[in-house]
Amino acid sequence: MEITGAVLVGKLTVIGLKSVGLGATALPGKMAIKIDPNLLSVVDQRCKKKIIITGTNGKTTTTNLIHHILSSQYKNVLSNLKGANMEQGIASAFINDTKKEYDWGVFEVDEGSFQAVVKHIKPDFVVITNFFRDQLDRYGEIENTSAVIYEAIKPLDTTLILNADDPMVAKFKELHKKCVYYGVEENELSSKNQRIVESRFCPICSHELDYEYFNYGQLGKYHCNNCGFQNPDYDYIFTNIRAGPDGNLCDIDSRGEIFKDIHFNYGGIYNAYNCLAALTSCLEAGMDASKAIERTENFEYHLGRMEVMEFPDKTVKITLSKNPIGLSEVLKSITLDKRKKALLFILNDNPADGRDISWIWDADLDNLHQIENMKYICCSGRRAEDIALRVKYTNISPDLIKINDKMRKSIENVLKEDVEIVYILPTYTAVFQARDIILSHLKNRSSFLLNIKELVEKLKT
Amino acid sequence: MGEEIKMELNIFHMYPNLLNLYGDGGNVLCLQRRCEWRGINTNIIDFTLNQEQDLSEGDLFFIGGGSDRSQNIVYPHILKYKNQMENLIEDDAVVLAICGGYQFLGESYIDADGNQLPGLGLFDYYTQSEEGRLIGNIITENQLKLKPQTLVGFENHGGRTYHDFKPLGVVKKGYGNNGKDGKEGMVYKNCIGTYLHGPLLPKNPHLADYLILKALTRKYGVKDLAALDDKLEYSAHEKVMKLYSK
Ligand SMILES: [Zn+2]
Repeated sequence: MEITGAVLVGKLTVIGLKSVGLGATALPGKMAIKIDPNLLSVVDQRCKKKIIITGTNGKTTTTNLIHHILSSQYKNVLSNLKGANMEQGIASAFINDTKKEYDWGVFEVDEGSFQAVVKHIKPDFVVITNFFRDQLDRYGEIENTSAVIYEAIKPLDTTLILNADDPMVAKFKELHKKCVYYGVEENELSSKNQRIVESRFCPICSHELDYEYFNYGQLGKYHCNNCGFQNPDYDYIFTNIRAGPDGNLCDIDSRGEIFKDIHFNYGGIYNAYNCLAALTSCLEAGMDASKAIERTENFEYHLGRMEVMEFPDKTVKITLSKNPIGLSEVLKSITLDKRKKALLFILNDNPADGRDISWIWDADLDNLHQIENMKYICCSGRRAEDIALRVKYTNISPDLIKINDKMRKSIENVLKEDVEIVYILPTYTAVFQARDIILSHLKNRSSFLLNIKELVEKLKT
Repeated sequence: MGEEIKMELNIFHMYPNLLNLYGDGGNVLCLQRRCEWRGINTNIIDFTLNQEQDLSEGDLFFIGGGSDRSQNIVYPHILKYKNQMENLIEDDAVVLAICGGYQFLGESYIDADGNQLPGLGLFDYYTQSEEGRLIGNIITENQLKLKPQTLVGFENHGGRTYHDFKPLGVVKKGYGNNGKDGKEGMVYKNCIGTYLHGPLLPKNPHLADYLILKALTRKYGVKDLAALDDKLEYSAHEKVMKLYSK
């Protein structure tokens, strides 16, 4: 018998509805949502409170951290932790879990899906991290992206948790919702000038903004001389930042209340913003501050987006790098690391990466010159030659540059290098594959060491 | 023999803070490096709003694309330089305009709602917004008789440009000016307009050197350029061919 599409979908509808009603089978969210577009409304009803995290960079980290913090106080927290952030991703998270009731729903939502998601899921809080250029061929320009989200928030009864340091985000105060602002004080990674500024024009009157300093992309202390638009007053601000390659130590000033020496395991100013976005959300959600801080400090990532793996002879760090600001900031944070090191770029141009890889020329790769003890820069992925070319035009010594468009081989090679640390910077579709390859090496390497130990023991007896 | 003069090119990067989509600034970096590597001095002049400067000092001009908003901000300012630009182009100055910049050199841009947004009007072509964006890797055959014959890049535009100027390339793969007539870009004297991002020049070093040589010929009467090691450049070029020529 030939199974037509309609029959198949019909059959799946039954299973799909069953799964929603009875919590039976796991079904891919994509199929389920095709069958029942109201699935997200079911999710909405089952979560007592909801937080949606959107923006360009930092969504996944912020979402995971909020989930981690809230889980210490609440038993049932539903979240799409793996970065699948369109409607299907949320549906999948639910279908794989399907409880009757959740204390919290914490959802990362892609900028392009925000409008569709909030038709069903009515958030108590919306966190907006930042607006940078990302995968332009999918969303059009940055102004349009933020305008669509702006319109979608209008009818919502929600509290906005806004990055005060991004003018594109601070603009959302014009919606006159309840707003909570967070930001990061000037620190040693801040700069007076920013080569790649995405939009340094006033989002209110289009006049050029004056900046006192830049923290990260167009995030910083800004002022419009024409209409007076500037950073709103902070409700939460990171101060006294002591940045290191393995994390940041900061204080939080929350409306005059100071929390001292908070350590976050992940370096780079972008992670300071992620960390503060999550803490702000959880404290506003009513969490106990000391507990929230404790959870922040013991947060660990296991997803490959930002992961550290220890080999017997070296440390391997993977950091997803998929847009100009992200890549520039990762390189900037590597400049703090003085160890003998190798770098592996993995550049793919699959649809999920964004087919246009020209963004690597918008990234500030001059940071490469500031990195000490660099022994080897390997370029891999479908567009290995393109990233190698980008590196060449920074005038870095050509002897350092190696090309191998086969990812597996390039990882193998870089792991053999005589260095203390290997930084792996993959684009989206490369990140999970790269992680699996590294993990398999880690297993082999440690079992090899075990065998040697056993052998030594045997020889002793 | 007299002392060899140190050659120098003034490269004007037009409105880099406003017209800077899709990595196009990489073209300026490419020109700069390829001059440097040959011992030719470059002065990169960031030309933008609130700045009144004589363009006649310029040897090479680069104009990128921007959002509609950015182009509207640029328009009244650049309009003051229309005559000077016109004279420069007639006088064989080198101009490279990409995407929005290319559209901007024409008479007008007609948006999706039928509104006519004025261009600089240096050339009598127009661009019309039509349904669906033309996005993807593009391969053309250049009409400048450069070797290799192919140009590779990435296009991403909603506007369709129509004209009878000599095209920069004939489309082999992709859409080009309008997705209909098989032409990509335009060439008038040493002024080139094109939709190719990528950015265009690093992966097409033959075109980069063509522009540099034209500028040097105009300024110093130079006839040829020293060769560079372009193995990596052409391997990136070849990669696009390998992945996307089918
Ligand atoms: Zn203003």
